[in-house]
Amino acid sequence: MHSDTPHILREFDIAFDTLRNEVISMAGQARLNLERAMQGLFERDLERCKAVVADDDEVDDAELRIDRLGMETLVRFHPVASDLRLVITSMKVAANLERISDHAVNIAKRARKMLARPECPETSFLEPLYAMADEQVKDALSAYTDRDAELGASLQQRDKDLDKMHKRLVATFTSRLEEGGERAEDYLHLIFVSRSLERIGDLAENIGEDAVYLDSARDIRHEKS
Amino acid sequence: MSLITEAPPMDLTEAPPITEEKSERPVESGQIPASLPAIQVKDVDFCYGDKRVLKDVTLDVPANEVVAFIGPSGCGKTTLLRCFNRMNDLVPGAEVTKGSIIIEGANISDKSIDPVELRRHVGMVFQKYNPFPRSIYDNVAYGPRTLGERRKSKLDEVVETSLRRAALWDEVKDRLNDIATGLSGGQQQRLCIARTMAVDPEIILMDEPCSALDPIATAHVEDLILSLREHYTIVIVTHNMQQATRVSDRTAFFYLGEMVEFDQTRKIFENPAHKRTMDYISGRFG
Repeated sequence: MHSDTPHILREFDIAFDTLRNEVISMAGQARLNLERAMQGLFERDLERCKAVVADDDEVDDAELRIDRLGMETLVRFHPVASDLRLVITSMKVAANLERISDHAVNIAKRARKMLARPECPETSFLEPLYAMADEQVKDALSAYTDRDAELGASLQQRDKDLDKMHKRLVATFTSRLEEGGERAEDYLHLIFVSRSLERIGDLAENIGEDAVYLDSARDIRHEKS
Repeated sequence: MSLITEAPPMDLTEAPPITEEKSERPVESGQIPASLPAIQVKDVDFCYGDKRVLKDVTLDVPANEVVAFIGPSGCGKTTLLRCFNRMNDLVPGAEVTKGSIIIEGANISDKSIDPVELRRHVGMVFQKYNPFPRSIYDNVAYGPRTLGERRKSKLDEVVETSLRRAALWDEVKDRLNDIATGLSGGQQQRLCIARTMAVDPEIILMDEPCSALDPIATAHVEDLILSLREHYTIVIVTHNMQQATRVSDRTAFFYLGEMVEFDQTRKIFENPAHKRTMDYISGRFG
């Protein structure tokens, strides 16, 4: 149950709008970092890789701001029901976004190292995995902003598909790595990038689960399916 | 029925002390064991003259639970509370016009029920603490004396047990003959709770018991409520929703004489089923 009726205290609605907008803004920055990291890798663009590392501080600051706003909101207004769930969920979503941005930084750093070497054609193997991970992040955030429990819950199954693709890619890169040769270091980097995308899928799943709690007060974490 | 025929049980000393280990109470939805409700309210209408202030109210108050009544002023929550020990009988033209309120198997709205005897089984604590202008001892001993107890040793036992249950004994044991009105506000309210318990009721009604108390005294009373539910069924009317979340197992939300929602307190404050409940508990009524 969620109510759109304005609160008696105007400050209450202002505080909650501010909190939600901060999360949405942080989500945009985290997704942008991921996009630039992957473009830096695919298009061998050093500037984009550097920008990801530099802009990660903004995401870290946003997480601190959201936690502070959340605490202030709890202390000032003692929210209950869907209002309380919004505060708790926003703080948890912010933590997951911060980790998504950290993985974007890891990818950008791997990309920077690969840029110093001849182009590795197998890099493009990661494109479908990235597309899947990015779509999951986008939908997880939509589930949060739209309070859409159904969409949020769908992330659990979709993450399993992403995991399968990640395993296939790692198997491919590992077998080529074992063959040795001058590409070995590139394959190692690609395994780590794949691992980061798989972790981003997990974090999107976490956000989806939080969105389910926000919308319906159901805790679907660790449910055996 | 037992409500009006039983001799008043005076042996409070047989009851286990509240300072012993706390009972492990289930908190998850559906885990509270089913037992005969202490109070069964069925389809109750209540009117002050022509004015219908309770409409088709139905709820069961489970035994040994704390149930909170919440809602805006004038919603009927205090009226219903006062129905449980017929306090409304004192208001001209006020009566239950439909339905039944069953306590210990008897419809207590029935005029054949002696309201004085009913109030021995269903005690009440009021918004403003109201000790008699007599000693601490006399306040607690008042009820048993009224019921005929004259033995000094027995009265001593009842006074000590009641004050211990009210978590007040250690604070007043050396000044039992001091005037009660000299105690702090929180102590006076706990004394009133001890006075209520001295006649060994099964049910204790509390009408905003902390509204006149500071936060520390409120915390003492809330702590007391939590310890008392092992022995009593408690119904509390409160405007303080944090208090309802802290002390009650179940919460009923009333609005304009109707009971909108009654459920586990955690459910009411985490995910209420009705929009009116959500709007009220979150501060959106206006």
